Amino acid sequence: MRKVLSMTLMIGVFMAFTALNAFAVKKTTTIHVEGMHCKNCSASVTKALKAQDGVQKVDVDFEKGTAIVDYDDEKVTEQKLREVINSTGFKVVDQKSS
Amino acid sequence: MFWLVSGIYSRKDMIPRIIIAVLLLVGPGAVMAQTEEMPRLSLRSLSSQRVRLDKFKGKVVMLNFWATWCPPCRAEMPDFVKLQRAYRGKGLQIIGITYPPTNVREVRQFTRSIHVNYPILLGTQKTKALFASSETMPLTIVINREGKVVARIEGILLPVEFEETIKPLLN
Repeated sequence: MRKVLSMTLMIGVFMAFTALNAFAVKKTTTIHVEGMHCKNCSASVTKALKAQDGVQKVDVDFEKGTAIVDYDDEKVTEQKLREVINSTGFKVVDQKSS
Repeated sequence: MFWLVSGIYSRKDMIPRIIIAVLLLVGPGAVMAQTEEMPRLSLRSLSSQRVRLDKFKGKVVMLNFWATWCPPCRAEMPDFVKLQRAYRGKGLQIIGITYPPTNVREVRQFTRSIHVNYPILLGTQKTKALFASSETMPLTIVINREGKVVARIEGILLPVEFEETIKPLLN
């Protein structure tokens, strides 16, 4: 009986932990950036975004003028990502993210 | 290079050869970051005076390669002005080196507009190539008080990079 109870408790804790992790959703956003005419300059956008806690993957395409970012929305917001890009001297433009 | 791969060697002999081969393959940049002496350089300033870099020996030098056409370069310079002001007394010397194509008039206008408080020198592609093969802009070379290149920071300088790489040299 004791074993069954402890097993049930362990399973319960495991399920609760899994459920908590499920809330930390990985989000992907495409941010449109103006002024990225030079590949060697736009590397700073990648660098600044990657330095943010919660950012998991960054793909900057200077020709398309986009930054595709995978991030944990519990740690960083899209607004913060936009501010980080603006701080690198480029300008985030409002276009609907995919 | 040939001696590195020719002949039959024991495992003991091969290890140092492999290490040297790897160092040669990764290029001089990676080695330079640890050991290389600051190149002897003399560049023209905005006021057309020749400035020798070795006159800054004894200070912690941040050589910042930048251009007016490079948005991140312009974006980080106001922070450099603050750093120069805050750490001048501790021996920090920032030096801006322009990268072509350079429009001297634009350089003057921009540096005046943000009240740059450190020397701006006019560089060439060759000047930058003396320090790094990478074409990333901006590029900041960190030189210690002994005149040795100790770090190359590609892209904008992050606060954490200043804290971890440059600030300890100022103590």
